[in-house]
This record gives sequence, structure tokens and C-alpha cells, in this order.
Amino acid sequence: MSFQCPAPIPAQAGIGLRSHHFREILEAPPPVAWVETHPENYFGDGGAPLRVLERVRTRYPLSFHGVGLSLGSTDPIDHAHLHKLNVLIDRFEPAFVSEHLSWCSVGGRFFNDLLPLPYTPESLDHVCARIDEVQTVLKRPLLIENITRYLTWQDSTVPEGEFMAEVVRTTGCGILLDINNVYVNSVNFRLDPLEFLRAIPAQAVWEIHLAGFDRFGRWLIDTHGQVVHPDVWTLYQWAIDHFGPRPTLIEWDTNLPSLPVLVEQAKQADIILGGCHAAAS
Amino acid sequence: MPQLREIQQAFSNGVIEGTYHAVAGAIDPGTSALRSVALYRRLIRNNYTQVLKITYPVLSRFVGKRYFGIVARGYVKKYPSTSGDLFPYGRHLPAFLNVVHIPPLLAELARLEWACHEVYQAADSPPLSHDQLHALASLDPSQVTFHLHAASRLLSFPFPVHRVWLALQPEASADEVVELPLPGQETGVVVTRGDGQVQVTPLDRTDYLLLEAMSRGVDAAAVERIAIESEPEFDFPRFLATVLNLRILSGVSVKKTP
Repeated sequence: MSFQCPAPIPAQAGIGLRSHHFREILEAPPPVAWVETHPENYFGDGGAPLRVLERVRTRYPLSFHGVGLSLGSTDPIDHAHLHKLNVLIDRFEPAFVSEHLSWCSVGGRFFNDLLPLPYTPESLDHVCARIDEVQTVLKRPLLIENITRYLTWQDSTVPEGEFMAEVVRTTGCGILLDINNVYVNSVNFRLDPLEFLRAIPAQAVWEIHLAGFDRFGRWLIDTHGQVVHPDVWTLYQWAIDHFGPRPTLIEWDTNLPSLPVLVEQAKQADIILGGCHAAAS
Repeated sequence: MPQLREIQQAFSNGVIEGTYHAVAGAIDPGTSALRSVALYRRLIRNNYTQVLKITYPVLSRFVGKRYFGIVARGYVKKYPSTSGDLFPYGRHLPAFLNVVHIPPLLAELARLEWACHEVYQAADSPPLSHDQLHALASLDPSQVTFHLHAASRLLSFPFPVHRVWLALQPEASADEVVELPLPGQETGVVVTRGDGQVQVTPLDRTDYLLLEAMSRGVDAAAVERIAIESEPEFDFPRFLATVLNLRILSGVSVKKTP
């Protein structure tokens, strides 16, 4: 099956596509505007995942949210991984392809987690060159997501928001703005979340993520395993007022709830987006 | 100022070894390097444990959360991930379980589950059809060989491990009782895929021998001889119906006669 052109993603709420909900989504497609999935889950040669994605794709606009490219790593880009991603993009034509501003491997060893870069001129040059390389292979702009971090590198001389803005200016990529990550970092490191958000160029924000976190000792951990916290909804409202309405994903990866819970969270996002649309008109 | 490569390598060492001294100098003193590295170490380990649990759900249910966590911890230490794609991550677990001192049933169960994991995402292709099979009747069987479907795995176990696998399926009856230890009984199993769902089917001895021969490229005439030697009254129609229904084969090759 091939698709003539990527269906654009409307400035409405979508949900993550997880195998846990495959059957339910096929039998009774939920009233959400779009879906997002991790392309790595479809790197296999065949079977149910690809077949389900084909059916889902005929009904919903799609976004790919990668977790394995290790954009900030000092190892060479894994071109076998990139090739698999490219094959999937050709087949399913997602409207967006995103990755994280992070690294997850060094010396050939992967941690499969989103590890923070020091925000330095060296990192900036490095990650911009890598994003250029990936965008050249994929022949499309990437969206880069801000991550949660549980440490601050001593030599980080560039504020995170400015670092991201410079990545956008240098590479022409877009930003996937994760509001939960902004909030979690602001609590863990006593930062002003608005300072970060004000540094982000509004026209570069193409998509927003919302998710839930858990508390572990003194840390808030970005688990994607809870409903969106009220403080995150408040920050989201601020972001929508500031940036304008954007496609917004309810991200939920662990402790997966029933589909109606996800749809209900998406509805809450749609109410905020709808309020912004109404104000604009 | 340390280079990016040095920072990543030092952090990697900290997470692997559980020590934080090498990376502490690069972390802002406002954050406890010890706590940060310990937290990342825990998050990374939990993530891999979760991946193994998803790959080996029956083994996980069988041994329980605590024991599975211990197994996963040992595995994560011995087998680091080498890919941004986690699908192949657990492939060494059966071999790992074989070298640690635990009941052999666990390694065999893991071997069965890894086959299921592979079959779930194996390549799609049409299975051998009834018509294709019928067409073989007019050919010289010594010129015909068979192809196992990409979504088929043939396995042999020293005991009927599939009984544990079946009893621990989420939809299995709570009344299902499997006596342990399992009897020492050579058991062949075929793992296949029908409508996207993975199936595990036990095979009787002759069926297993024939499929194993077919998977090695033994020609149809020799396969027939193996069947007759094993069971003089072998029921070929039943066997062929099983092959077609379970989609075990994907096709045949016919040698060109000169």
C-alpha cells in the first residue's frame, strides 16, 4: 500500500498508537484527529504491526516519533537504522518525523534512554551536523524534541531554549515541544519554565507533547504513565496562548490505560486548542 | 573543558560500573552526581527489564516479578544493547539461561518464546496453497524441495515445554494443571502465524522428522521414505492438511532436468 501524499496533521489532539490498543482501535476507531507511533516498533519485516499500521494510516494522519537514532552521540550515525526509518517513511508517508535532542549510545553500546547533551558550542556544532546528515538522507525536515534530564552538565554554557533555537536556525528543523518535559525540568532544577518557552521560536513549533510523570524521591520522572498533571495543563494553556494552536499528542507509554482514558485526555487538549481557535477567529 | 566524547564515555562508564567518580567532575555541583548516575542507572535497567518482560511474557509470569528481575539484571549486565531498535535485544536470553544454574525448563521456555517473538514480525508471504500442493503430484518427487515459511520456526525440546507455555497464556483456563517436573519426552513444536496471531503447535514424532527434513532441503521422495520408515501406515493426507492449515511452508522448488 502506498500513499500519495502525507495527510497534514490538524492543530488538534492525537494519541499514541500502542500494540496494547491495536484491536480496540481497529474495531472502534476513536474520535481523535491523528495518531503517532514509534517507527522502531515497525522495523520488522512483516506481521500484525505493519498490517495494523496500514489500516490505521488509511483513517488517521500519522506522525513518526523516533527514539533510537541517538542524534547527539559521538558515534557515527547508524545508517542501517536510518535506512529502516526511510523505508517506513516511504511506505507510510507520515506528516511529521521527530527525534530527541539527546544521545543514547557511545562506543557501540546503547542505553536506549534519552541522555542529555551539554549545551555547549561543541555540542551545537556536532548535533547540527548530525541533524543535517539525517535530514539529507530522509529528504525532509526533522522535528527535534526537548527532553527531561536528571543532571546538569557543568560546562553547559548555553541555556537550553537558546540552544534549541540555534539548532532550528542552523538546520531548518522544527521543534516538537514537550510541555511535560519543560515542567519536569523546571521542578527538578528550580527553573522558570516560561524562560525556556520564551526562547523557543514560535514558527518552529510544529507539534506539542503532553504526558504524565511520577514522583521518585526528590525527582519528578518523565514516565509517560499517568494522566497529564494539572500544572502541566496550565503550562500548556500558556504555550497555546503564546505559540498558537498546534497538533498536540497525549503520550502514554507505561502503565497503559484503557483507550477511553487516552481519548478523554485528548478531549481536554482539544478544549484548550478550541478555545484558542475561537479567540483567533 | 572535557570534549563531548569524553563526557559521553565517562557517563557510560558510570552507568555500567555503578561508579560516578569519572563523570562527577563534568556534572554541575548543584546536582548530586551520585544520585543522578544512580537514577539513570536504575531507569535504564528498568527499561531493559520491561523490554525483556514484553519479549518473554510467559517466562516472566512463570517465575514471578522478583525472580525475573534478578534474571534480567544479570542479562543486562552481560549483554549490553547494541542497537537503537530494541526488538532484537533479548535474543541471547535462552543462551544466558543455559549457562546460569537454574532449571533447564526456563531456558527451553525462553527458546520457545524467542521463536514466537521472531515469528510475530517475520516477513509476510503467501503460504503454500492447496493447488500448489496438488500440482506436485505430476512431478518427479526426487526433484522437489520445500521452503519453510519465513514466519515458521521448528523447534525440538527434551520435554513438552509447550504445555507450560499454553497453561500460562492469559486466556488459558485457571483449571489447567501442568505437573512439574515435566516428563523427559522429546517434543517437536512448530511456531507459526495465522491472521497475525502466533500459534504454538506440538508435533508428533514423525511430523517433526518430516518438517525438519523439509527445512533442510531434503527432497520429497526422501521425505516420503523417512515417513514410511518411521510409520509404515503414515497418514499423508492428515500431515499435508496440517502443513496447509498451519501455513508452515511457503513454496517448493523444482530442480530443472537437463
